[in-house]
Amino acid sequence: MREVAVLGVGQSTFGKMPEVSAAVLGRDAVLAAIKDAGISGRDIQVAYSSRLYDAAITSQDVLKEVGVTGLEMINVENACAGGATAVRGVWKEIASGHYDVGVAIGVESMTTSPIARKLIPPGKDDIEGQLGLTMPAVFALLARRQMHESGATPEDFAQVSVKNHHHGCLNPYAQYKKEFTVEEVLASRMICEPITLLQCCPNTDGSAAVVLCSMDFARKHTTHPVKIAGSALLSAGYSWQQKDITSSPLGVETARRAYEMAGCGPEDIDLVELHDAFSTEEILRYEDLGLCKPGEGVAFLRSGAPALGGKVPVNPSGGLLSLGHPLSASGVRVVAEVTTHLRGQAGERQVEGAKVGLAHMLGGFAAGLEAGACGIHILTR
Amino acid sequence: MAERVPIREGTFQEGPDGGTLLANKCKSCGQIFFPKAKLCQACLHEELEEAPLSRKGTLYSYTIAHMPSSFFPPPHAMGYVAFPEGVRVFAPLKIVEDKPFDVGMEMEVVIEKLADLDEKEVIGYVFKPVLG
Repeated sequence: MREVAVLGVGQSTFGKMPEVSAAVLGRDAVLAAIKDAGISGRDIQVAYSSRLYDAAITSQDVLKEVGVTGLEMINVENACAGGATAVRGVWKEIASGHYDVGVAIGVESMTTSPIARKLIPPGKDDIEGQLGLTMPAVFALLARRQMHESGATPEDFAQVSVKNHHHGCLNPYAQYKKEFTVEEVLASRMICEPITLLQCCPNTDGSAAVVLCSMDFARKHTTHPVKIAGSALLSAGYSWQQKDITSSPLGVETARRAYEMAGCGPEDIDLVELHDAFSTEEILRYEDLGLCKPGEGVAFLRSGAPALGGKVPVNPSGGLLSLGHPLSASGVRVVAEVTTHLRGQAGERQVEGAKVGLAHMLGGFAAGLEAGACGIHILTR
Repeated sequence: MAERVPIREGTFQEGPDGGTLLANKCKSCGQIFFPKAKLCQACLHEELEEAPLSRKGTLYSYTIAHMPSSFFPPPHAMGYVAFPEGVRVFAPLKIVEDKPFDVGMEMEVVIEKLADLDEKEVIGYVFKPVLG
């Protein structure tokens, strides 16, 4: 397999913009990524796009806006892991030698989707969903177990939101740039006990794009290429296979595969961008990714390790909690964010001296399964 | 009286002493599934037999939603109950005064109306704290 580099990254503004089409959101991200890569749109040989709602031929729809037509375009969906799936698709095309340059795009217009201002609806044969098991309820039930098993408190959960909102204040792309205190987070509207409104990611419109290329191509355009050292994508097992709902066989195995390919371990990671759809979830992901031992996520949080300036800053972008979560865009956006840090271009939110970063995205909920899919990319410079 | 329809056929039965959830069990490896599986998800064996679960289990986790969902106005309590057969089942919880939810407390299966839909009563299973 050939080495693959991230040559260019871009994203649109994130926010509630029902007047802006998905094609235009995607256009802004792609143009930014092409410009950042220092190439012409005509250099692009393959495209993968991910979009969940009202989607058909998203690659074509976006790329026609930037003069790119007549090439292999593939459109994928993998719930919130769709963006990670698109990145991996382009990675495979280039690693295998099919193409030298490609673009991965994630885009979502949540405000014009069929679920605008609603919760993600249960499937027709999803009896748990019909009985009231919404996404906030899923994570609330997990949170109660976290409290029971590891002594997590509502204050701990709120602290994740405080941390990520603080990071978001340093990110010009964040939808919500506002500092909150633990007390304010806890006093916001109760959604599903113990999860309050300020611990839920908002519905957001947005797009992100990354230009990937062979290392040979990258070296002609930059002296400091960022390399995709590990790429893993895995579907979940059954929920009955989980001994406890707070342990994630899916997350652990996907991380193991990504670390193995990258030839490194959690101790080598300088920063992480991950799926913090709910503040409570971030603590579980510390454990899946091996940033701490199983059951020690709360202690890891309390130690300050995942905050900017800490041992392994987690979600220095502000995460889904402050950026918002345009579902299919988030998996591409995390790869763009990690790349930006590895280049030392992240401005006020920069993780100093970052050499190895991990981009994680988790998606989907189907009756009887632990989740839908988990995608992890490990980047190095 | 409105017609009563189960939220899903074959998932529970009503008896004189309350409700029972109907799981199924693989005839080859013994793995139990609720709701019933078409084939064994553990060993892919295609022969499974009906296996009623115990009427009581322990509360594994719970939450109270303060926002509406498909059928239910807030506040809506829900949780997982762990049954002795090794199965965790999700269902709405019945809020009982002076009996706050607590992980590990004993719960029983109750069959009752969940909602009115198209002039029919949708009935299903809920878990209720065991009194006394």
